[in-house]
Amino acid sequence: MGEKFDTGVENTWCPGCGNFGILNAVKKALEATGKEKHEIVLVSGIGQAAKLPHYVDVNVFNGLHGRALPAAAAIKMANPSLTVVVTSGDGDIYGEGGNHFLHNIRRNVDIALFVHDNQVYGLTKGQASPTSNVGWPGSLQRAGVISEPFPPLAVAMALGCGFVARGFAGDPDFTADLMLQAIRFPGFAFVDILQPCVTFNKKNTYSWYGKMAYKLPPDHDVTNRGKAFELALEWEERIPLGVLYRKERPTFGEMHPQIPGPPLSDRDTPEETVRGLLRRRLTAAG
Amino acid sequence: MEIDVNVRVAGGAGQGVHTVSNLLARMAVAAGYHFHVTQDYMSQIRGGRNSQSVRIGSDPVRAGRVEADILLAINPDHLPHVFPAVAPGGFALADIPSAEPPLFAAPLKEMAVRAGSPILANVAGVGAVAHALGIPPETADAVFAADFRGDFFDKNRTALRLGAEWAKDHLSKEVVERFRLPVRSSAPRIILSGNEALALGAIAGGCKFAAGYPMTPGTGILSVLANDGPMVGLVFEQAEDEIAAITMAIGAAYAGARSLVATSGGGFALMVEALSLAGMMEMPVVIALAMRPGPATGMPTRTEQGDLEFVLSAGHGEFPRLVLAPGSPEEAFDLAQHAMDLAEEFQVPALLLTDQYLADTVVDVDPDAFSVRPVRRHIVRGDSVPRTGDGRYLRYATTGNGVSPMAVPGEPGITVVADSDEHTEDGHITEDHATRIRMVEKRLRKGAMLAGRTLPPLFAGPPKGDLLLIGFGSTKDVIEEARQILAREGRYAAAVHLRQVWPFPGEELAGIVPRYKTALTVENNATGQLARLIRRECGVRVDGTISRYDGLPFTPEGVASEARRRVWEKNSIPG
Ligand SMILES: Cc1ncc(C[n+]2csc(CCOP(=O)(O)OP(=O)(O)O)c2C)c(N)n1
Ligand SMILES: [Mg+2]
Repeated sequence: MGEKFDTGVENTWCPGCGNFGILNAVKKALEATGKEKHEIVLVSGIGQAAKLPHYVDVNVFNGLHGRALPAAAAIKMANPSLTVVVTSGDGDIYGEGGNHFLHNIRRNVDIALFVHDNQVYGLTKGQASPTSNVGWPGSLQRAGVISEPFPPLAVAMALGCGFVARGFAGDPDFTADLMLQAIRFPGFAFVDILQPCVTFNKKNTYSWYGKMAYKLPPDHDVTNRGKAFELALEWEERIPLGVLYRKERPTFGEMHPQIPGPPLSDRDTPEETVRGLLRRRLTAAG
Repeated sequence: MEIDVNVRVAGGAGQGVHTVSNLLARMAVAAGYHFHVTQDYMSQIRGGRNSQSVRIGSDPVRAGRVEADILLAINPDHLPHVFPAVAPGGFALADIPSAEPPLFAAPLKEMAVRAGSPILANVAGVGAVAHALGIPPETADAVFAADFRGDFFDKNRTALRLGAEWAKDHLSKEVVERFRLPVRSSAPRIILSGNEALALGAIAGGCKFAAGYPMTPGTGILSVLANDGPMVGLVFEQAEDEIAAITMAIGAAYAGARSLVATSGGGFALMVEALSLAGMMEMPVVIALAMRPGPATGMPTRTEQGDLEFVLSAGHGEFPRLVLAPGSPEEAFDLAQHAMDLAEEFQVPALLLTDQYLADTVVDVDPDAFSVRPVRRHIVRGDSVPRTGDGRYLRYATTGNGVSPMAVPGEPGITVVADSDEHTEDGHITEDHATRIRMVEKRLRKGAMLAGRTLPPLFAGPPKGDLLLIGFGSTKDVIEEARQILAREGRYAAAVHLRQVWPFPGEELAGIVPRYKTALTVENNATGQLARLIRRECGVRVDGTISRYDGLPFTPEGVASEARRRVWEKNSIPG
């Protein structure tokens, strides 16, 4: 599985990069949806992670650093029949695009978000990211990181995100399964993916994540919000993997009165309707 | 103009100034007259000093006047501030214990209480003003019927009649005779603001997606899109910030929806990176920018044309753009359709540059003045999607005019790859320098094509002479009326209105400007940005700028007197 969407585009990631595991997982999950390439849109910002869409043979919107989510949300609003997936970096989504992360969870458009969380700015060569741990030696953090790390899963839980999960680039099959669940979930679905950066992050390595991460037991109750919140905060001692929380609520597309119907590209503008809008502003003769 | 009466209504925010001007304006139309409402309001929800001027005329009215023939001071505390603007021969009404003409003490509150609601003091005031204008109270009934039901309808009618009766007993004969509007036949008119006209034009132009973050004076555009847009299946969403708004519009455009955002200067500043994205990705998106005085938060509710140079150069890198500057509500309707269409045809960002003055100006328009053109889509579908030998679609295919056929995602058998990095024809990241050159030149060829479609400036007046006045956007009709004032004095000036400022109509202008002894731009800014642009683009001499930067719009008399002083008065120094 996973070859359906192969492309011949030259890959520019470092050998051993965690992105390869994520790419495999994305391709597997997309193939498992049974969708054709023209029905899928991969959206990203800028960064090493954000190059992923170029390596998958589907529709691609590779926009600005930090701005993947608003583009993705609007693509889905314009054409709800498309499967829209955002795949981008931790700096991109939690840093530059933090405001969009917050508000798109609230908006609950039916899209999936995969964050390649390598706790570093890879493309710009090793600066701290919002998820870097305190003390981590970033290339612009001479005394090590001082700020507390951004807790993505806890933030998502606090905002009522309906699908909250964590994957690991070192386990593509497991992560592909999470991704597939996220894509199928009706509403905003979020998967944070632990991703070793072999070049700029010598602390949070494959073996470090291997030691810290554990899979949630099969009897974990994904509907228990309080428990999921607790798990979302786990980081110092050990890091849970899997679906922490799952709860459906009406999606933006179901709630917004103008979204049901044909895609926006197919809607026409009858002259008579426009005239009618002008006539609403007609004032009668005396 | 035979009849020309300027009524100023002054009061605090929340005191119903808007209700008064709206009611008076609609009564004037029902009585067969035309009007122009300008708003002068402060950035407050309650209190402050607001006023609106309703200039009523026998011909369509397209600019304001400073002097008020009739002043209705709903809040008497504002009298010291507004009374000096009453014209000789004019009069004022205020709820004060006693007064001497031309100020009249009208017990508005008491009449409102008698009508059944103390908040209707403003409507009683309208009754008094309408009496002075000779508009019978019945004229308002149809207007009230459209707005109110039941009890409140009756109370409004009563308040208006009490005001009219009071005026009959207390206003002097001269006053009433002086302003009485002769009876005329009337025709139905469309009443709308610049903001409304622009938004409706965008809708007529096929806009199906709009997003925005509220910012005065652009918010009115969003209101129309949110409230009228559903009739044509338009999806509106309030974004978390302006960056999200424009990025959403670009995303929707990628998916094939004609899209628009509306904002003011500060919001546009946040959109600038994405403007450049639209340039690089070749996404059609229309940006409506209603200017207000800057820098920074500036004066939120006032007017200025200070962002001209900003919009022309906004966005890193080099890419084509269209910038249109409507001069009236009708032109806003027309140019918004044009922007929607050209943005898609050339796959470029298009800007509609207005300002608070035009945004909030309300006028009455002949329903037939709005031309609604059929929406012609420029995206390719099905068999018309060009494919390579191996069946691929190239989003950025090299073409003679630079415009690559635009398909949208969802088209069976192909993928649409759009990229903000420099890219190959199939949309993938490239660092190949030869490809870079080809792509730069492709984008610039679109700019050249776009320039070929430039809307020529509008010209009025003698073909040569002493003075040429040049403006862009909202100053159009103010300059035109100034030109007419001067002509009546035997001073013949010509006027040029630029409704498109980019691509710049340089050739046309270079042909016009040198035919006049003096050429002045008229600009609602301090530094003469248009004058600089003309010099740069046409290499012709511009002698100076009539500028205004106090946050208020020009008036025809103001422009005319500056022109007189600089050109026709003795020892005048142009510039
Ligand atoms: C507006 C803007 N600011 C900064 C950059 C430079 N920049 C590109 S990617 C990046 C950070 C990438 O970090 P992340 O999203 O974590 O991706 P990674 O490379 O680690 O996969 C930065 C700062 C940019 N492209 N645009
Ligand atoms: Mg990163």
